[in-house]
Amino acid sequence: MVRLEKIEYKPMPVRDLLVEMKDTSELMIDLAYSAALFNSQVLAEEVIELEKRVDTLAYLLNMSTMVAARSADDAESLVGVSVIAAATDKISDAAADIAIIVLRQIGIHPIVREAFRKVEEQLTRVETKPNSTLVGKRLEQLELAAKMGINVIAIRRDKELIVNPKRDEIMKKGDIIIARGAPGGIEEFERLADGTLQRLEG
Amino acid sequence: MKAMSHEESFKKIIDMLAELKDTSELMLDLAYSSVLFNSPELAEEVQALEEHVDNLHTEFELLVLARCIQPEESRNFLGLIRLGLVTEKIADAAAQISEVVLRGLEPHPVLQLAIEAAQETVARVQVSRKSVLVGKSFRESQIHEETGMWVSALRRADKWMRPKPDMLIEAGDILIASGYAEGSEDLSRLASP
Repeated sequence: MVRLEKIEYKPMPVRDLLVEMKDTSELMIDLAYSAALFNSQVLAEEVIELEKRVDTLAYLLNMSTMVAARSADDAESLVGVSVIAAATDKISDAAADIAIIVLRQIGIHPIVREAFRKVEEQLTRVETKPNSTLVGKRLEQLELAAKMGINVIAIRRDKELIVNPKRDEIMKKGDIIIARGAPGGIEEFERLADGTLQRLEG
Repeated sequence: MKAMSHEESFKKIIDMLAELKDTSELMLDLAYSSVLFNSPELAEEVQALEEHVDNLHTEFELLVLARCIQPEESRNFLGLIRLGLVTEKIADAAAQISEVVLRGLEPHPVLQLAIEAAQETVARVQVSRKSVLVGKSFRESQIHEETGMWVSALRRADKWMRPKPDMLIEAGDILIASGYAEGSEDLSRLASP
């Protein structure tokens, strides 16, 4: 028998639900492509977990919009919210489809890696070396987004996977960092992690 | 049609998959922006890109299927086909988002709040003839260093595209950039003084 989480109505602001759905679905795309690119079961499993979360959020959001609509005008104005929430749900499903390719070991053709070298926003996986300037710093201190256009998607630390790390997360040596950014920034970031680049310009 | 060599089709499949991934993600950015600005023009662009992705995706699948796949390669090729399908699904979702604008439904304020909360802020500016940006490449323009805003898309000659470091900025270009609220004003000053 399929067991699914029972969902009870909770009064939650529609805005918060939608923000979480949008952010999570976008994060899931990056995680899922990373899982495929680096053939990582751990990342793929995380995508499946997040997919369940988005499903729950979709129910909660639908209930909230129903409760909020008291007139035809309300309904007209709220239907767009439902449609967009459904789109984020669809995106998270698409990400889960990639995760399943990895989990079932269907296979990632070498063409995929070639194609990922040509895309505009690239993904990388780096390990922080002991002499890397990243070690011991808080993410916000590094200003990776501002200085290099780099977004950290996840950090693998021993057995733990930290998805969408918070700004005060401190980098440790041996962290495996999955990040996304434009090719120039990615190269700089890889050199920061392996210690060949010690300081950031600008 | 001239038959493609094995090598040629390999290269073409790589390029197509890269374009499918890039376009589907650009569409998603543009779709959320269309809701944020309640802009039918942006929404229509998403719809046009959706048609482009549909065609590209079909061509991609045909090209993959045209390769004489050996039994031991079939799993890898299945993974490839499914990845292509994912980009198509993302493009569909983007089109669905943009439709809200095209149906003339005034986006609920909560949508704009949610999109802004997720991306800090998104600005849309047109580069005027007097702007110091005109004639500079995106790399030289230092838009990010000056304003803290990242340009995610630009419109030129009726087409939306991603900025490239060596692409020259022209008067009339429309830029979509995300970043922090103060940066948005700085960008406006830079682009249309």
